[in-house]
Amino acid sequence: MATINATLSVSSSDLSSNTLSLSKTMTMTKAGTNTGLEFSSGLIRRKLTATTEIDLIPTGAQVYGTPQASDVTAGAAGKLYIKNTGSSSTDYISVGLGDATTPNELNDGTSKITLGHLYGGEWMLIPYHGKADVGDVLVAPSTAETTTVEWILFFE
Amino acid sequence: MATTTASLTLTSTDLFDDSLSLSNTSTLHKAGTTIGLDQTTGLTKTYVTATTQFDPFPVVKGTTNAGENGRVYIANLSEDETEYIIVTIGDLVIGRLYAGDFMWMPWSPKAQHVNDIEITPSVATGMWVEFMAIHNFANIYPDSDDS
Repeated sequence: MATINATLSVSSSDLSSNTLSLSKTMTMTKAGTNTGLEFSSGLIRRKLTATTEIDLIPTGAQVYGTPQASDVTAGAAGKLYIKNTGSSSTDYISVGLGDATTPNELNDGTSKITLGHLYGGEWMLIPYHGKADVGDVLVAPSTAETTTVEWILFFE
Repeated sequence: MATTTASLTLTSTDLFDDSLSLSNTSTLHKAGTTIGLDQTTGLTKTYVTATTQFDPFPVVKGTTNAGENGRVYIANLSEDETEYIIVTIGDLVIGRLYAGDFMWMPWSPKAQHVNDIEITPSVATGMWVEFMAIHNFANIYPDSDDS
């Protein structure tokens, strides 16, 4: 096991009439235990030069250090970090989840859905289950100019 | 406009042979601008006592939200390592947050009933859950429709 800590801090003095100061730290553990996650894809960096949607982390296939489908259980407690390393305030990457082969934005639990946009310098940290067919992680740049994406997957 | 910053650090001294130390800070802006996000649901802390799915961020009425941007924070405050919440968007599972886990992600609502973010607790014995959205949506809660 390993000890992996993530700390999120969110602050603002003028978002509302009271100061916002949120700080939360978590230690990444295996599902239902206090045992730390012990595997990682490592920090992966990819350059994208088209607006085509790519399957950044396909389920069922081992890419880089990601788990195979047979390694993933329904209770998996993985964590996924993604960052758009650019600096543009107008160009972004669209991040989605689901089945890469299906139409977008169908609320049927088996399609794929866009979470949101990461503009230059923005990042996200979400849980990851990697379940076959609906666990693909999809990224589409808004521009064909070079866009660099970094990501790390932590898993059991 | 408001200035809201979010920072993340990821550290480990024993995951790899070398230490992991990653740190990022970003300022939250409206879509395609450098103007700060200026609305929030506020930080909500709630005690849930059923395994029924609930919708902390109902999607905005209407269908076009292209110029809107948001960030979502959700945390499971339970101290029992076996307890979790399932976070979904639309009907698609994003993943499970076990005790002490949090998530931070972008959110661009598309249309009503399509990508609502929802939470399902694993137990009915009581769990503390915390959540917040920071956004510039035209009509988020309470002027919104549940899925």
